[in-house]
Amino acid sequence: QSDIDDDDGGGPVASDEDDDVQVRQKVVQVDPQEEADFERDFRAIMQESLDSRKLELRSRPTLNMMIPMNVFEGSARDHHGRGVEGESGDEIVDEDGGERNKEVRVKVLVKRGSKQQTKQMFIPRDCSLVQSTKEKEAAELEE
Amino acid sequence: EETGDEENNNSFGGVGVGGTEHACRYCGVQNPACVVRCNVPSCRKWFCNSRGNTSGSHIVNHLVRAKHKEVCLHKDSPLGETILECYNCGCRNVFLLGFISAKTESVVVLLCREPCLSVNALKDMNWDLSQWCPLIDDRCFLQWLVKIPTEQEQLRARQISAQQINKVEELWKTNPDASLEDLEKPGVDDEPQPVALKYEDAYQYQNVFAPLVKLEADYDKMMKESQSKDNLAIRWDIGLNKKRIAYFVFPKEDNELRLVPGDELRLRYSGDAAHPAWQSVGHVIKLTAQEEVALELRASQGVPVDCNHGFSVDFVWKSTSFDRMQGAMKTFAVDETSVSGYIYHHLLGHEVEVQVVRNALPRRFGAPGLPELNASQVFAVKSVLQKPISLIQGPPGTGKTVTSAAIVYHMAKQGQGQVLVCAPSNVAVDQLAEKISATGLKVVRLCAKSREAVSSPVEHLTLHYQVRHLDTSEKSELHKLQQLKDEQGELSSSDEKKYKALKRATEREISQSADVICCTCVGAGDPRLANFRFRQVLIDESTQATEPECLIPLVLGVKQVVLVGDHCQLGPVIMCKKAARAGLAQSLFERLVCLGVKPFRLQVQYRMHPSLSEFPSNSFYEGTLQNGVTINERQSSGIDFPWPVPNRPMFFYVQMGQEEISASGTSYLNRTEAANVEKIVTTFLRSGVVPNQIGVITPYEGQRAYIVNYMARNGALRQQLYKEIEVASVDSFQGREKDYIILSCVRSNEHQGIGFLNDPRRLNVALTRARYGIVVLGNPKVLSKQPLWNSLLTHYKEHECLVEGPLNNLKQSMVQFQKPKKIYN
Ligand SMILES: [Zn+2]
Ligand SMILES: [Zn+2]
Ligand SMILES: [Zn+2]
Repeated sequence: QSDIDDDDGGGPVASDEDDDVQVRQKVVQVDPQEEADFERDFRAIMQESLDSRKLELRSRPTLNMMIPMNVFEGSARDHHGRGVEGESGDEIVDEDGGERNKEVRVKVLVKRGSKQQTKQMFIPRDCSLVQSTKEKEAAELEE
Repeated sequence: EETGDEENNNSFGGVGVGGTEHACRYCGVQNPACVVRCNVPSCRKWFCNSRGNTSGSHIVNHLVRAKHKEVCLHKDSPLGETILECYNCGCRNVFLLGFISAKTESVVVLLCREPCLSVNALKDMNWDLSQWCPLIDDRCFLQWLVKIPTEQEQLRARQISAQQINKVEELWKTNPDASLEDLEKPGVDDEPQPVALKYEDAYQYQNVFAPLVKLEADYDKMMKESQSKDNLAIRWDIGLNKKRIAYFVFPKEDNELRLVPGDELRLRYSGDAAHPAWQSVGHVIKLTAQEEVALELRASQGVPVDCNHGFSVDFVWKSTSFDRMQGAMKTFAVDETSVSGYIYHHLLGHEVEVQVVRNALPRRFGAPGLPELNASQVFAVKSVLQKPISLIQGPPGTGKTVTSAAIVYHMAKQGQGQVLVCAPSNVAVDQLAEKISATGLKVVRLCAKSREAVSSPVEHLTLHYQVRHLDTSEKSELHKLQQLKDEQGELSSSDEKKYKALKRATEREISQSADVICCTCVGAGDPRLANFRFRQVLIDESTQATEPECLIPLVLGVKQVVLVGDHCQLGPVIMCKKAARAGLAQSLFERLVCLGVKPFRLQVQYRMHPSLSEFPSNSFYEGTLQNGVTINERQSSGIDFPWPVPNRPMFFYVQMGQEEISASGTSYLNRTEAANVEKIVTTFLRSGVVPNQIGVITPYEGQRAYIVNYMARNGALRQQLYKEIEVASVDSFQGREKDYIILSCVRSNEHQGIGFLNDPRRLNVALTRARYGIVVLGNPKVLSKQPLWNSLLTHYKEHECLVEGPLNNLKQSMVQFQKPKKIYN
């Protein structure tokens, strides 16, 4: 028995992240009966929700919200101090590169009791919600 | 069998196991970005936004089925912990809510569809109401608000069906805390759900195995706790560690329960005029050949050492090993880091693309301090180093311990952290630890606390020994306290605290500096390993462990696993028939073979005389077993034994004696066969064989006890010689060898089967224990009905080794065989 130096020692070490498992995906098949049942129940709860509101509030409600004007103002330095300088509605390009520039940053206005707060969020550019805004901004620029 | 120790349960603190509060109650996904909480006060359950196998996302499914309408976002979501509500009117019905841009800037608010969206004032304010974007779109929450779990996350999650969702929602109406497992709970009299080949997910796996482990645990508890014995005579002694030891004979009933070192017993004395009633718990530290038990008592005070009679003993059952199996299955299900994704899917039988482990291969596959490897061993070592999951099949005597040690050596040298090495039995762990240590690696053998007093061939490798002998100056404090404890038996409470803390720190230090940790499978669940992670795990004798047992060492972060064993030898012992029938006796190794994982088979055997390996090779290993020993190397020189064919040290000794039911009424014995066993043993002894070279195997406890007694009373030579001969069941010989084996088959009843020996794996083990020679005793007329026995008998007959008559004048037998029945499966 003579094999003494028989290891190469530190070769390339598999990293913790290389768990790139490829599971052969089975095709998910939703039972059509289940789908139909669910669709029916979903519509029911939707209708019931609408109906209940119509009954509750017979008279046209009034506008009861405050939009603090400062949210429309210039810089979008947000509450989390993320500190990415830029106009709201701008396309965001940051270190995530490719990923993020498909997204648009928006401010979401929420109420905490009687106080308003804004939170930053990213929305895909192709979402109708921001598309119209961009279009309008473009239109306004044209004028 | 292994028992833990409560005092130790929090040694290194526990690691938080997954299954957090915010995990989806349907599928277990727990990514905070993907879950929302139902905000109905009586509900408050979390659900994720994946569809799984249903047409709506889990949260939407829940809201619709339960008719709940309010939700709250997770505190780590982009909007923080927020109840979703209309910015104008505060309406919280998510079926009515949607986002809308306030004016032209990118400021958005939630607004309800009815009535706020139709307030005229909004139009006046120049809001584009046509762009209102509902919160629930395509039966799913907006993906940019609540993320959809990744494909990986979804595959790793519980695969819940629409039917199960309906059922559990129904159950929640009466029992809001019910879990999905409650749906599967069988009734008391139901047969449990049998094991499967593939599982949808780890939850389904747990649903199948948890009840089986529970059944076995209940049975084990019932069996052991009914083992109380009264009127025992005690012999007192004191151990080296100053602890009191009680010696007594624990009469073995005719069932499968046998005491093992580490078992916990309670010794009682009911008291008399001079002594108060007394009791103490202790651990079995030794079992002598005479079936005497050595019990080390936990408390040494007040022991009635001047009494010797009238003691009682009870078995103290511990749930530790079963708890650890259940714990491992839970971790497997809820903790995504417990095993790699590849191993997770592979163990569940999902189809996974082949993965290669990218590690540098060594130039040589042997290891220092080990014998040179043969070709099939080298191939096995090389192959497993490159695969995330592999099986090594080691037929009898093929050197699987050496192969395993070589694999562990190379794994440890790859620098991926510590390697964990396990086996179900302590004996196998010790053997492997010894071999691995011979390669020069730093090995720590972790023993259960209850076994620290049990002697071990690798004591110097054990953690408790190393703690006592790690002699550095900073440890002197621990040594002082240890000495004090040894001398006085106890410490003051403050010293005890200090002692424990120091000991724990030293244990951790030693364990962390090891290259390899060795322990039993159950031992891998020891709290002292709670904070350890092992990417590489090798399990020896894995075919003798149940699946849940095998899982314990795996869920510590495994990325590469090697299972060593032989599914052609005996599997795990399951006491509960119901659990065995449902498949708990099938090992993980076997299931992986059924799933198409091809084991690397070691092909050269170094144990048996070539004549002895021929039948097992042909019958159990497709004729692939080669001989690494020659006839000359297995020639017993100077031993004069009447083998019918010279150079063929084997024969089948025809027995026609009647079988009887043993005194206890549950086992079988055959008196003439026992008498002939004595004659054969005596002939061996006379010819110069020493007692520890001989093993007598018999499947029935009745016959075992009878042979032991018969030899002691009627043996022609000194009694002591016969006492030293091991007479035991097939099962207790597995993994071991003897130079000469005598197999007494017992059953001679024409009308019944051949019971225990009906299992081909048991026959394989029985036939492959001998190195130099084997004698089989049995009734060919009965045995030949079974196809495998029929071919064994034919094999002996063809080689002129089927004989009858007196030992000193053996003649070939002309006994007729019966046609084998085809009922065997
Ligand atoms: Zn709910
Ligand atoms: Zn889910
Ligand atoms: Zn509203």
